Amino acid sequence: MTPHSRIRRVGWFAALAICAMLYLTLHLKVHAVRSEVIRAERQIVALEQQKLLLETEFQTRSNQLQLEEWNRVDFGYTAPSAAQFLENERQLASFGSPRAPGAPEPIRIAGSSGHAPEYPRLVSPLTGNPVDEELLEPDGRTRLSGVRLADGTMRIPLGAVVGSASQ
Amino acid sequence: MNSFAVQARVPTGRIRLVDVRRRALLIAQLRVLLIGAVFVALAAAALLRIAYLGLVQPAPSERSMADALLPSRGEITDRNGLPLARAFPAYALWFNPVAMDDGGPPLVRSPEEVAAELKAIFPDLDEFAVARQLASGKAGYLRRRVLPEDANRVYAIGELALELPRETDRHYPQGTMAAHVLGYVEDGVGHVGMEAALDDRLRDPLRRGEPAALSIDARVQGALEDELKRGMLSVNAVGAAGIVLDVDTGEVLALASLPEFDPNKMDAEGQKHVFNKVTNQVYELGSTFKPLTVAAAIDSGAVTDLSRRYPATPFHVAGFTIRDSHPLGASLNVPETLIHSSNIVTAHIVDDLGAARFKQVMGDLGMNERPYIELPARGFPIWASGDWPRLRAMTVGYGHGLAVTPLHLASAYATMVNGGIWRPATLMKIEPGQANRGRRVFKASTSARMNQLLRMIAVYGTGRNANAPGFRVGGKTGSAEKPGAGGYNRSSLVSTFAAVFPMDRPRYVIIAMLDEPKAVAASSFQRTAAWNAAPIVRRLVPRIGPLLGVLPDETRDIDLTDLKPLVGDGSGE
Repeated sequence: MTPHSRIRRVGWFAALAICAMLYLTLHLKVHAVRSEVIRAERQIVALEQQKLLLETEFQTRSNQLQLEEWNRVDFGYTAPSAAQFLENERQLASFGSPRAPGAPEPIRIAGSSGHAPEYPRLVSPLTGNPVDEELLEPDGRTRLSGVRLADGTMRIPLGAVVGSASQ
Repeated sequence: MNSFAVQARVPTGRIRLVDVRRRALLIAQLRVLLIGAVFVALAAAALLRIAYLGLVQPAPSERSMADALLPSRGEITDRNGLPLARAFPAYALWFNPVAMDDGGPPLVRSPEEVAAELKAIFPDLDEFAVARQLASGKAGYLRRRVLPEDANRVYAIGELALELPRETDRHYPQGTMAAHVLGYVEDGVGHVGMEAALDDRLRDPLRRGEPAALSIDARVQGALEDELKRGMLSVNAVGAAGIVLDVDTGEVLALASLPEFDPNKMDAEGQKHVFNKVTNQVYELGSTFKPLTVAAAIDSGAVTDLSRRYPATPFHVAGFTIRDSHPLGASLNVPETLIHSSNIVTAHIVDDLGAARFKQVMGDLGMNERPYIELPARGFPIWASGDWPRLRAMTVGYGHGLAVTPLHLASAYATMVNGGIWRPATLMKIEPGQANRGRRVFKASTSARMNQLLRMIAVYGTGRNANAPGFRVGGKTGSAEKPGAGGYNRSSLVSTFAAVFPMDRPRYVIIAMLDEPKAVAASSFQRTAAWNAAPIVRRLVPRIGPLLGVLPDETRDIDLTDLKPLVGDGSGE
């Protein structure tokens, strides 16, 4: 037996041993995971049973007889009458009355005509003139360079935020 | 010499000594080896065990989650999935006197002290009875149902003899509600209601995981029981029965028989009330049969002209005189007959119709057999076989001489208003479009006409007290004297109201029945159905209508314009 072949044989054994070790580790790991799964399943079963118990308790405490008792003694609710139901828009509109002659214009609270009036500009309380834009936006300040997307949302590059924050 | 002698002796002794030492050494070595071998064997055994545990044995014994979560008995739910009966693991409190296992007394402290501690946890406990039981040293239940937090407090008492075994229990979260529909479970076997009817299915391991959905609607059932009970107590009736039936599918949405029992706690008192008055008890249901008679007459062509007037004077037939409860004038037409509930004119109509034809219609309505429903308790009608003589047909026409269950009446009313199709009643939920085909008993035109007539009774007649505003209720009162020893008993009545709503598109039949109502102030000192059963319907319909998709609407009603002239202003003649 040459030394070379002996080394090779030892090498084979070592490889075999390493494989066996790896297999063993894997096997143990699989078993560990499996028992964890079983433990988790048991926990699920226990929790499901607890849920069932709580649900049943809740339903027992809120059974129809009990609700009826509360309704009669504490709240005194009665079944809604026909006047409390609306079937359609037409019935709803029938409750309104036409404007009498000489009545004031109805106040319009909200609406969307499509053309919003221009946003009022900030006016100086001393002069009554519109405030200069430059006063509100100091020179050195860089505007955030936003990239407007097609759907109207704005994407702001991260660098710009960092840059403005550092100034 | 001496020394030689000694010398001569020494070698032998030394040899022996060496021999002894060698042997001792050998033995010692052997022992060490043996001990070493034992240790090695032990270590090997331990290693093997570890290897076995790690590699071979599949950790804790595996159990399928589905198995663990499968209930021991299937759940019963209402049509919306609300559980009405379920199996759930509960704790019981069991006294085990041998738990200490030391030959001494079963308890560490005195029975009185332990009973006092238990009383602090369960305030309704009979302290002295428990103390007596603990002192007697006999094993037994101290309590059948214990909540988990109470179980923890019992553990905290620290008595080993107080055991808390987990038991699978049948629980009815709704208490006494729908008790006659559900029944109860004793020793794992269902009794009385659907627990008995579905027993095989509820116990089948393949099917019990899926809840059995009944046609009952818990909210409707609750409202029906509540209103029936209120009506029953207000007029001192001995019992009451009620049913809400879907006219198009035959589904029973609520079924109540009072007095009820508690399926959670069956005892001798509960056993007395197990009898189901809706499906098992047969009654002569009186005037509620008159619309069925008129429907049969219209259907067969015996009545073609509703304005035709029939004589309303006492009618002598076969040695018997048919009378009305009070004189209703010389003559009545058909709508007036129903509105004022005339026995005499109904008898005339039956006479025109013919006994054979009338009997056949009654048979088609299922009055000659047990009612169709899943419940095991179904009463057989008192049905005269053979050809009916003229008088028999006449009395049946106004609801005497034929005793049926309230469920028979509900199915017959459903047939009359739904377009004329009779369908068996069912307690199982039916998916839309899956209803039984049924059989045609009345023509659709007859049904439409009967809808008008039933509505007229509630608008102008004896059913006015049932007319819940906006719900288009129609229906007929019926007050029948109960048969007793030697004829009818004038003072004990069965008063029934058979209602349908909404009349412009009939959806539900309601039967409310009171057994022996008394004439008290709450019913204006009247015993008839108009004063005790009809108000139940008036209070019930607004409660259940919106739940069942029938909204009240004052602007809508069935068209009565063609019949209204026949009854004048509706106030009488």
